[in-house]
Amino acid sequence: MSETKTHSIDISAMKRSQQALNIEDEKICLSVDDLHLYYGEKEALKGVNMIIPEKKVTAFIGPSGCGKSTLLRCFNRMNDLVDACRITGDINLHDTNIYQKGTDVAELRRRVGMVFQKPNPFPKSIYENVAYGLRIQGINKKRVLDETVEWALRSAALWDEVKDRLHESALGMSGGQQQRLVIARTVAVKPEVLLLDEPASALDPISTLKIEELIHELKNDFTIVIVTHNMQQAARVSDYTAFMYMGDLIEFGDTNTLFTNPEKKQTEDYITGRYG
Amino acid sequence: MKKTSVSGWVKSGEPWVWLNAGAVAISVIMVVGLLLLIAVRGLGHFWPADIVEGRYALPGNESYKIVAEQVESVDVPSAQLIEAGIEVDESITVMQRTLMKVGNRDVYGADFRWVIDNYMEEVTRPEMLFAAERREWGNMYGYLLAVKENGNIVASTEDKAPTDSSLATWATLQERIERALAIHEEIYQVEKHDIGKINYGLERLRLQQRGYVLENQLTPERMADLESERAVFDEEYKVLQQKLIDLYTQINRDTILVEAMDGTIIEQSVAKIVRAYLPNSMSVLDKLGFYGSKLWEFLSDEPREANTEGGVFPAIFGTVMMVLLMTVLVTPFGVVAAVYLREYATQGVLTRVIRIAVNNLAGVPSIVYGVFGLGFFIYFMGSSIDQAFFPEALPSPTFGTGGLMWASITLALLTVPVVIVATEEGLSRIPRNVREGSLALGATKAETLWRVVLPMASPAIMTGVILAVARAAGEVAPLMLVGVVKLAPSLPLDGNYPFIHLDQKFMHLGFHIYDVGFQSPNVEAARPLVYATALLLVIVIALLNFSAVTIRNHLREKYKSLEM
Repeated sequence: MSETKTHSIDISAMKRSQQALNIEDEKICLSVDDLHLYYGEKEALKGVNMIIPEKKVTAFIGPSGCGKSTLLRCFNRMNDLVDACRITGDINLHDTNIYQKGTDVAELRRRVGMVFQKPNPFPKSIYENVAYGLRIQGINKKRVLDETVEWALRSAALWDEVKDRLHESALGMSGGQQQRLVIARTVAVKPEVLLLDEPASALDPISTLKIEELIHELKNDFTIVIVTHNMQQAARVSDYTAFMYMGDLIEFGDTNTLFTNPEKKQTEDYITGRYG
Repeated sequence: MKKTSVSGWVKSGEPWVWLNAGAVAISVIMVVGLLLLIAVRGLGHFWPADIVEGRYALPGNESYKIVAEQVESVDVPSAQLIEAGIEVDESITVMQRTLMKVGNRDVYGADFRWVIDNYMEEVTRPEMLFAAERREWGNMYGYLLAVKENGNIVASTEDKAPTDSSLATWATLQERIERALAIHEEIYQVEKHDIGKINYGLERLRLQQRGYVLENQLTPERMADLESERAVFDEEYKVLQQKLIDLYTQINRDTILVEAMDGTIIEQSVAKIVRAYLPNSMSVLDKLGFYGSKLWEFLSDEPREANTEGGVFPAIFGTVMMVLLMTVLVTPFGVVAAVYLREYATQGVLTRVIRIAVNNLAGVPSIVYGVFGLGFFIYFMGSSIDQAFFPEALPSPTFGTGGLMWASITLALLTVPVVIVATEEGLSRIPRNVREGSLALGATKAETLWRVVLPMASPAIMTGVILAVARAAGEVAPLMLVGVVKLAPSLPLDGNYPFIHLDQKFMHLGFHIYDVGFQSPNVEAARPLVYATALLLVIVIALLNFSAVTIRNHLREKYKSLEM
């Protein structure tokens, strides 16, 4: 296992009901259909089929290099930026194929927001960081911006910490605060989907806990997809979990079932720490 | 045993440290030494030197009186003097020779004379010996005998020592000089500004008329309009001319009588005197004040006497203006080119070739850019512009000749590789995750560039601009071909529409050094000015750089996330 970060803090407050969820009952937000992805000659995703349920937290787990981040970056076409990256197959966001010709990629990325592993605030003030996405959309009315910035910072549980220094540089914040700022910045443009690419891996345990609590709050409004190395984290925050290995989706299902009673041998080996 | 200790010493890296430190020390010593040399030589020039009086006679020649400022002394072997045909005492092997500034060029023909110190006798520093700076013929040295008004003596003295009568005469002279300077200032204003404006207006009318003629639209009504406007100018001019005639009569009222070193009495118009002073009776404080005023004159005044006297303000102004204009041109151009090369162009053989070409462009000798500027910008583009937009002024060229704009563009071309390279460097250092962060919020590539990447790269861009400014400000060779002149009649920025005259020729400190030092008719008088001007050029470049560095540090502070 690549990472075994355990917390002394018990998050009983976040405990979900023990009854199993059924994927058949969920509304579909994203569906992936026979997705292959090649970096040059190397096939990084080997025909992935899955659905991402709406307003739930879906976690991708798996060993390093298994393709979970790559798959995540397909959802907002971030892989377009990589030279020599080629994709076949479809991804539908509410029945629209995001890979069809003529897709407005900027609009897609507004609807499918993304938070990266390392906090990446812009070298601007806290306020301007959160307002960035809105300004991009041409919203410059001070009242609208003020309201949205406050709402987004409250959503990211950051408002109380920063309300007195909104116009100071975002680079003066701690790592955990920066990551929540990035989440606030993403939330501010009101996307439908939030992609979180190992959002807590660069943070200390307290900040990690805060992020996890935040995810729990945010799933009321957003569909969340999270990539994590940390299986406890996946178990704590997600409703559904996908286990990937070597570019294949091995198993996908309700989190409780997957962790307590995996169908596949590979999954069981991984979550019990026998390899990975 | 010794060998192992040497190899151990080598291994410890100490010789390497010494080598590095030595190289740094030598560089520092050379730069500081150079600056000290030009500072001492240049700044000493403005100090009021004592005037000595003495009798000078070479062996076998008749002695004569000499009144002069001592400029510099050198040791010469007497054999060399004998070889030069001067009969000197052979028993003394080395003699000191001094350069004396005797002034009064209108009487003696030359300002300077070498004397051999051994044959100077009865050297004194009389207090009433005075020096006067004049608008022509250089300095005057001698004793003041009388002050005349309209040919009638109003004050006179026969004393060569500070007595009541001589001091009173001196005071009268100072009064008269002050009055003449005030009138001179008035004349300057009328000639330069008022009449300048009229000439400018008349020229505008002439071009307008010529334009009508060229287009066959010169109707009698238009002609009448032009004539009436011209009549207004003529009327104004007549008034000014009358005023000038009055002023000139007033300024030429006073003269002084001066006894020169050989006893000749010279009558000198007070109108031509800039300042007169008694260096031998000045206290250190007086001299300091005098020094300050001379230094200020150097910085703020226009040159006189073929650039060997007066100030260099037009050259300072031209240099700074040209550099600023060049910066305004080169920065956007270089940045846009670098953005395309780094962000948009597909990285491949072609971009590599372009990059190599850009780097090599920085190594092309600057005179080549000068020739290119002359051939392409001035002769080709300039004359096309003239034919298209200024046909009425032809055959005299407007942009078809060297000028401020072409000089700035030529230097911008010369420095654009530096800006491109520095900007590319800066762009490549912007972390990928910041760009992705912007893209993930729905920004397009162009928006990401404008709002995040370029602001973060701005310190690197400023580094490029600093290097460009440093190179452009010190460049002289190409400028000689594209618009620098030794004396420009007016500044490229003035009160006449359109205020900035991009087509005008201008003065430049670098060229001024060359001109004063090597093209001057009076080399001895000009030499200290070469040092002073060189020092000033260094200071101007340092100031320009310093302001750019300040801006860069400010930007760095603002966007310091790069160091994450």
